[in-house]
Amino acid sequence: MTLSPKKLLARDPNLSFAILLMIAVYAAFAFSNSNFFSVNSGFATMERFAVLGMVGLALTLCIIAGEIDLSIGSNAALTAVIVVQLTDALGAGSAILIGITCATLIGLVQGFLIAYLKVRAIVLTVGTLMLLRGVALFASGEKTVMLTDFDVPDFIQTKMFVFFSPASLLVIAMFILVGVFMRYTKYAREIYAIGGARKEAIASGVNLRRPMMIVFAISGFCAGVGGAIIGLRSGTAQPLGLQYLLMVATVAAFIGGVSILGGKGGVIGAAVGTLTVNFLNTGLVFNVTPSYVVQVYMGTLLLTVIVFQTMSQMYESRRQRQLLLEDADRTRRSLMATFSRSP
Amino acid sequence: MKSNAIQDGANIAASPGVSAQGRDFLGRHGFALFVALLVLTFAFAAWTTPGYLTVFNIKTIVRDAALVGIMAIGLTFVTLSGNFFLLSMKETAALCIIAFAMGMSNEYGFVLSLLGAVAIAVVSGAIQGALIGLGGNPIVVTLGAAGILYGAASWWSDNLVVSFRRPNDAEWLGTGSFMGLPSITIAFILIALLSEWVLRKSRFGRQVFLIGANRAAGKATGHENFAMAVKVCVIASVCCAFVAVAFAAQISSAQANYFSSEFGSSGDFTILVIATVMVGGNSIMGGYGSTLRTSCGALFIAAVDNMMVLQGFNSGPRVLSVGLMIVLSILIFAYLRRGRRTEV
Repeated sequence: MTLSPKKLLARDPNLSFAILLMIAVYAAFAFSNSNFFSVNSGFATMERFAVLGMVGLALTLCIIAGEIDLSIGSNAALTAVIVVQLTDALGAGSAILIGITCATLIGLVQGFLIAYLKVRAIVLTVGTLMLLRGVALFASGEKTVMLTDFDVPDFIQTKMFVFFSPASLLVIAMFILVGVFMRYTKYAREIYAIGGARKEAIASGVNLRRPMMIVFAISGFCAGVGGAIIGLRSGTAQPLGLQYLLMVATVAAFIGGVSILGGKGGVIGAAVGTLTVNFLNTGLVFNVTPSYVVQVYMGTLLLTVIVFQTMSQMYESRRQRQLLLEDADRTRRSLMATFSRSP
Repeated sequence: MKSNAIQDGANIAASPGVSAQGRDFLGRHGFALFVALLVLTFAFAAWTTPGYLTVFNIKTIVRDAALVGIMAIGLTFVTLSGNFFLLSMKETAALCIIAFAMGMSNEYGFVLSLLGAVAIAVVSGAIQGALIGLGGNPIVVTLGAAGILYGAASWWSDNLVVSFRRPNDAEWLGTGSFMGLPSITIAFILIALLSEWVLRKSRFGRQVFLIGANRAAGKATGHENFAMAVKVCVIASVCCAFVAVAFAAQISSAQANYFSSEFGSSGDFTILVIATVMVGGNSIMGGYGSTLRTSCGALFIAAVDNMMVLQGFNSGPRVLSVGLMIVLSILIFAYLRRGRRTEV
């Protein structure tokens, strides 16, 4: 991964654009507010990254496979409720294990149903979005659940190595793990294939079921880890909370260079996208902006990225068509010339 | 409903590739069986719930269904035209309710306030529709628009409750009634009939079905999705505006988060609206369904919800049951259609 900037620009223009955007956002806030450029705000950013990074990664993987998982917010909220509720009785370790296993299984079942029934993920996950909220309400008894013992929240927020906490170190490890998986395994290549060129992938013998189950299981797992961290860090979990995660994760994924058509983007992009969103969010909070104005910024950012992407798609398809027409024209002319020469 | 079931069965039986005997039987009678099962369960529960089968309670059910139903009818146009659904329904309603209440509290009168709310809905719907029509993904575009609309609504109202004085000229819509029925119920029935007529009889309705069923064929015959996306998004947004105005007129106040999870029993309003469209049995890929089905879906959800309230359930089981209804309807319709239109 030792690439010079020039090579990176040539190989992956989307990613280099994302990195430039991230640096620009960071620089803008660092210059406008002196407090932003400090160790503490770096720590705060990494803490935020611990949560949003996981969810952004989950959505990035789904979009790479050409689908959108709308239920990640509900899945994270359900995991948070399970983990917080079980921590007092069973201890944090087994509570986290149970919560994340549930989230992964939910993802796995969703992936199986999508591949088996041949529906689009949007259709199924809008249903599970509501179903999982119901389950979370049911599991928590319609209340905000709370820890009684705050040892665990204290532990996962201890500072380590200046910028990091156990939570953010865990998340960085997850990123590296998923990154290696997405880069070097054949299962990951199947995921890229069903996203970018699904018909071709199926025609060349990829069974839709395996990559779909893997990608949704990883996505459920990531959402679960994110939910568990949110729940344990604050010590509380609301069954109807975390609705904002979907939008933030979508913004992060699209800044990170995924294409809505699938098959593009990667784990590094997800990290860069999430960091950009984090810098924007933290910077706006530093400048005392109300949360609903932050939402306006996020929405505008998302729409801008989408318009940009749609325009480039339109331009690309128009150019392709023109090339095809020119090619056909050239063939026709050469044929005509051949015929007229030898009557 | 019944004729649709028969048609559905006939289509499946006629299609090649359905080989397994059990699946054939399921395919032919599955929908009818499903409906029969639901009706039986429902009838049993209705019979055993005290105070359920009274005229007053049935009127309540229809009134409860009206607000969600009107928004869902608007969304049905979007869904039928193959543009999935808008995730910005409740945020559009939030901006419109603030606009209406601002107009009313500044004494502009009912008509001007209504026109203001509708104008905002038309503009926001047209912009979203244009972006979708250009090739943007409907989910992502409306997710972004949702953030902007909700932020704008909170900004405008400073996140406070905007209320207006009680004797006002909007009361006939909110709390008034006509021939023993609340105005909002009558509006729901009129909108349902009108939209069904538009979809079945008008040229626009046929275009919706054509583009939804086969976008390539629509394009080849000169029906671009761009104009269609703009039109259906405007219809859906105007329905949101109408619901917002009716709701504000009912309680004489407005806040940006009235349509978020705090409002109503079943969680997020947008998701409830999408649930209504799906439970009615419209194809989410477009081209198949009707607004009559959507209205039935709204009535069904309201009826089940009402029964669970009377049986003393809390919001958890109620949200769970609506979620189960959506997932079941998705699974059953996807299973029935698996042999036919595979979306790859």
